[in-house]
Amino acid sequence: MRKVKTPAAEMAWRCFIAILLLAISLVVLVPLLNLLALSLSDPGRVSEVRGLTVIPKGFSLINYRVLAANPLFVRSILNSIYITVVGTALNLIVTSMAAFALTRPKLPLKRLFQALIVFVMIFEPGLIPEYLVVKKIGLMGSLWAVILYKTVNVYYLIIMMRYFEEIPTSFIEAAQVDGANYMTILGKIILPLSKPALATLGLFYGVFHWNEYFRASIYLTDPNKYPLQLILRQFVVLDDTASLIGSGTLFSYNEAARLSYDALQASTIIVAMLPVLVIYPLILKYYARGVMEGGVKE
Amino acid sequence: MSGIGQRELAMTPQAPGKGLRKQEWSLLILLAPALLYFLVYHIVPLFGMAMAFQDFRIIGKSPFVGLKHFKELFGSPSFMQVLANTLIISFMKIVLFFPLPIIFALLLNEVRSSFLRKFIQSTTYLPHFLSWVVIAGVWIAFLSPSTGGANQLRQLFGLPALDYMTDKSSIRWVLFTSETWRSLGWDSIIYLAALASISPSLYESADLDGAGPLQKMWYITLPELTATMVTVFILNLGFFMNAGFDQVFNMMNDSVISVVDILDTYVYRIGLLNMQYSISTAASLFKGVIGLILILAAHKGSLKVTGKGLW
Repeated sequence: MRKVKTPAAEMAWRCFIAILLLAISLVVLVPLLNLLALSLSDPGRVSEVRGLTVIPKGFSLINYRVLAANPLFVRSILNSIYITVVGTALNLIVTSMAAFALTRPKLPLKRLFQALIVFVMIFEPGLIPEYLVVKKIGLMGSLWAVILYKTVNVYYLIIMMRYFEEIPTSFIEAAQVDGANYMTILGKIILPLSKPALATLGLFYGVFHWNEYFRASIYLTDPNKYPLQLILRQFVVLDDTASLIGSGTLFSYNEAARLSYDALQASTIIVAMLPVLVIYPLILKYYARGVMEGGVKE
Repeated sequence: MSGIGQRELAMTPQAPGKGLRKQEWSLLILLAPALLYFLVYHIVPLFGMAMAFQDFRIIGKSPFVGLKHFKELFGSPSFMQVLANTLIISFMKIVLFFPLPIIFALLLNEVRSSFLRKFIQSTTYLPHFLSWVVIAGVWIAFLSPSTGGANQLRQLFGLPALDYMTDKSSIRWVLFTSETWRSLGWDSIIYLAALASISPSLYESADLDGAGPLQKMWYITLPELTATMVTVFILNLGFFMNAGFDQVFNMMNDSVISVVDILDTYVYRIGLLNMQYSISTAASLFKGVIGLILILAAHKGSLKVTGKGLW
């Protein structure tokens, strides 16, 4: 035991690491908490909120009330919820059906389909050809153009196939002897045994849909159909403060004259990340584990 | 693909003739919705890429023009700048960023307190799940020359305010830093998993030999991480042509577009905003083919070095 550090040096080293890592955590948290503080501060004291402030100055929900009175904003939240719920359900149904079929040895043309998956994974068609196909089949302007985009994410499909392969085939054989067809086997045996995988991929897909804005921006034409992320982009990234205030609401508050655009933009950002924060504990529970086991990084 | 599938094939009683065919059909029906999706969003657009060799017309037949659009692209200084931007930004995000999650994982691995560990993990993984629109919003606020936290820090050191988002010499570092902010924690997971799988007996015998922490790091930890590092690096090289559309799209503005415009933002602008479908698709096809070559090379390289391919 020659070169072992003294307890004091060891202690100092561990403290140094802990402080360094906590500083990194703060770098992540402070900009987010700063926006939260800004959004909740009293409009009269917003100017006191500096870039590193994490505690609201005073307290007011006025920014959120202004947003809630903006029909475009409220509508966009409903659109996002609709896209996320319908989209994720469709993702899980289509992906699990495909994963089940692709893991059956009796599937005809199996090798062709496997090659197709690899191909889809490594070659992205251009934006314009995709845009023209969506236009041609009449989905332009429809929420379905957004919902259907990435109906099957091949990386998630492969994770699900690996999961299905782990299920002992004796279950399937027993059901087949009893005369069950593939649909019944999938619905009654495979899916109930795959709840952790479904939960994990449901979170993957759900976060994807909630965060999607680009396809919405090119496929939707009516602002009443825009999802929240697209409205957020318009309000914050493109700095469109006129539609952020909303024409109808401007005069309905006495404080309106004192409202800060920065605070309103901060509130929009907070609302847009809220659902992710709510399901984040679940993500930590399933997601991190799933990614580690699947070994697939996107 | 393990032997389980094979066993099922051998053990399932083969229903003769019609029954078997019915089973096959039912599998194809289960696969059909996914195939339909691939057809609409991947296969048909692939054939549509032929327009890169045509003068695209919405009505009537588009005449074949060979490599005209490619010649135009490579003859244009703005496209060459876009290509250079893509490579520079990718280099920063793939090569410069590469060691950071490894260092982060090594440091995190030294933390004994499980509460502290969980706190650091939960906070640093979070940005990975935020959309780039949200992250751009957060960073625009944080870098604001008047009210942002970054400039508040600059003031502490007596430096003048700087508008990072519109400063040409800063913006690429903004992209690099915000990418690090988003991915440092999440990308360290794979290394943490690799660290957790190192057998403790290796360290115990090193202790017996009197090895210090640095020696253990050099002779045990880093060699055990090599396979993971190589896999991650090669895999990322396969996506070198991407450079991160969503990030650039949400963080660029007119002042800095010349230094951050990448292939994907160029394809979008030329194609959907300027309606030059054929040139835009030529740029997509160029990007797709180079990307394909890179990924195939990455696959081969990964197979050779680690024995595991990408698929």
